Amino acid sequence: MMQYLVILLDDTSVAYCHCDNPHRERRLIGLDDLRAGILYAMKHNQMLQFVYPDYELPQEYLDAIDSIDHHDIVPFPMQGDVAVLNTVADAAEGAVCVLRTSLKELFAAEAAVADALRRVQRLNVVITDLDTFTDDHLAAYTSLLDRWAALLKEEYLAGRTPQLNLLTDRMMLSAPNHCNAGVENITLAPNGRFYLCPAFYYTHPEDSVDPADIPNAQLLRLDHAPLCRRCDAFHCRRCLWLNQRTTLEVNTPGRQQCIVAHTERNASRRLLAAIRSKASFMPEVDINQIDYIDPFDVKNEF
Amino acid sequence: MKQKIGQVTPDERNEIQQLFERRNGLNELAKILTPDNDALYQKLVADLGDTSTRFQQWWDRMAVQYGWQGTPTGHWEINFESCEIFLSED
Amino acid sequence: MAKNITFIVTKDCQLACKYCYLVGKNVKERMSWDTAKAFIDYVLAREDDFREESVVWDFIGGEPFLEIELIDRICDYLKLRMFELNHHWFNSYRFSFSTNGINYHTPEVQRFIEKNRNHLSIGITIDGTERKHDLNRVWKQATPDENGIIHPSDRGSYRDVVRNIPLWLKQFPDAGTKVTISSPDIPYIRESVMHLYSLGIHQVNINAVFEDVWQEGDDLRFEEQLMLLADEIIDGGWYQDYACSFFSEHIGKPLDPVRDNQNWCGAGRMLSVDAAGNLYPCTRFAQYSLRSKKALVIGNIRDGIDQNLLRPFLTLDRTTQSPQKCLECDVASGCAWCQGENYDAAQTATVYQRSTAICLMHKARVRANNYYWNRLYRKLELEGRREEYERNKRSIAHQTC
Repeated sequence: MMQYLVILLDDTSVAYCHCDNPHRERRLIGLDDLRAGILYAMKHNQMLQFVYPDYELPQEYLDAIDSIDHHDIVPFPMQGDVAVLNTVADAAEGAVCVLRTSLKELFAAEAAVADALRRVQRLNVVITDLDTFTDDHLAAYTSLLDRWAALLKEEYLAGRTPQLNLLTDRMMLSAPNHCNAGVENITLAPNGRFYLCPAFYYTHPEDSVDPADIPNAQLLRLDHAPLCRRCDAFHCRRCLWLNQRTTLEVNTPGRQQCIVAHTERNASRRLLAAIRSKASFMPEVDINQIDYIDPFDVKNEF
Repeated sequence: MKQKIGQVTPDERNEIQQLFERRNGLNELAKILTPDNDALYQKLVADLGDTSTRFQQWWDRMAVQYGWQGTPTGHWEINFESCEIFLSED
Repeated sequence: MAKNITFIVTKDCQLACKYCYLVGKNVKERMSWDTAKAFIDYVLAREDDFREESVVWDFIGGEPFLEIELIDRICDYLKLRMFELNHHWFNSYRFSFSTNGINYHTPEVQRFIEKNRNHLSIGITIDGTERKHDLNRVWKQATPDENGIIHPSDRGSYRDVVRNIPLWLKQFPDAGTKVTISSPDIPYIRESVMHLYSLGIHQVNINAVFEDVWQEGDDLRFEEQLMLLADEIIDGGWYQDYACSFFSEHIGKPLDPVRDNQNWCGAGRMLSVDAAGNLYPCTRFAQYSLRSKKALVIGNIRDGIDQNLLRPFLTLDRTTQSPQKCLECDVASGCAWCQGENYDAAQTATVYQRSTAICLMHKARVRANNYYWNRLYRKLELEGRREEYERNKRSIAHQTC
């Protein structure tokens, strides 16, 4: 069931997920389209998430937005429910923020991320070139996660609970928590059309959808994803856009998404065990030891 | 005139089938390989000799193991699908 | 398990069959020796990636025998390289051809057959009686259009093919033919199968096309033809030495969603290469096979295969791609699909949407099939010959494409 409507307020609204926003020219969503989107969400009981550009919106837009309960995703330094950072050093005390970063920059930002974890409520790290991840990155990524996990362990044992999606999401989950674009959320773009998510608008603007009649909608659901429906990397985004980009099918992840998610899953498992060795923590969550990092490699055993 | 005289196991069948296939492959390769390609030609000649020997050894070994009887004008055949052995009179 | 590797040696053909799924046949795209060699070198250098016990080197067109010189060179090179590299496939390989039979008798083709006799599988396509065959299998027009695309003429090809059947059967007595049924062919099914039997072809592999070509009432006409065929096979005693793939004891049963969840089609486990050196999960994903979708290229001979693009094919199962009506179908077993046609007909660019254009035809086949076996077994029981039949019955080769 569709629960969220994401509205991109402008073509230059901040990108907050894997796909870069290629638009450089401002194009504000039509006021009528914005109002229609809000009305649509109200009628369908959907929570609204507005995604902002880096400039002040006209007052009538702000008035329309304020007419309904919603969440704001904003570019730093604007104030909102979620701030998308330019650099992790910008992460403020108690903030919920998103850091979009390349793999190379992520490795370079190890110390800054560690610093941020001592301040933020939640840091969502989104790797923007995830499709370039190879098996050669595994060892380095594993040890990077383990070093952050050591810090998080100390924070948790000290009674502070900062969240780093790469490490703490999985250990809080006992069921899948994927992105679910096209199933639980849909995006209204500045052109007044609906898309599965912002990434499909950015890369395939011709592929708008009717939310009431999405072609092959079943393929967006977990039960129609043969690899993912049996996978327990519950925190994985299961990004349909990345799936399509790497395998040409929205229901099939490429190896990159799987091995990154499993490296994180296994690091979460070690973090959970380390915390539990000192204190009782999340007793209902169980992360088994597994001997694969890509479910595709063991598909015949499923 | 064909008469069933025995049966081998699938593993035994696989062994002779592979030798049979290899011998056919070598024979067809021999049609296109000329002595001027010396190294490969020598390899082929050696392999043909070795494969033919192992082929015959399989029949000899199985005949003893299962007690198959031959006749002066007959030869043994195997059905690769059923693993059955037949005595076929020429 | 054999790996099926297909060379699309040409997209040209002497014929322009009206039902042919190869909608983009043309005279321009002929494989060069350099492309073929590079592909062979790519495959044979990766023995660890291709662990199947056996290999079928398949040659397809258009009409493959139009490129017999290239094929001969390819096969010689394959034999030499497999031997030289001590490749495990040297112990188990086949060269396979599906031909229209027109050039079968030519000295070039015959020399090739003589040279590779023990490793050949050659199927000649003949559709049945002259009027049935010539209904669809017609010569192409003498000149292609401005894009090089070939178009049908009015001249049938039956006589050009049938003259080669005796030679073919002499060389390959167990060979079978492949017959394709489209809507206009239905009235000729009975006479066509019987005609092929009378030519000495013991194995007739026949299937209704997967494309959405069927007219209202076709299923009932199809069922009627199959029942007439069943009567003639049973009454004439043909069932003892001849087989027609329409009749199988294994079709028409419900399928278990867990135990019987495997994909029908081998796309993705196969590999095809075309004249440009592009690689496909099956020939049906090359552009000349597709009406409405872009070619699904999984790599090329220079950069190799993008393994991510194989993942959807290798994880595809029956239940995920099937609509609910198929999952609940009481006669699901034996109902086939073609992954390429599924892709071509799908609402979105996916291999995960099963086309059900064949649904009513399958159900009609099941009814006629049930009739066939009920009649045959009752006759055999009354004659006290059921056990004898069970012992000696001819096995029908499993055909998926």
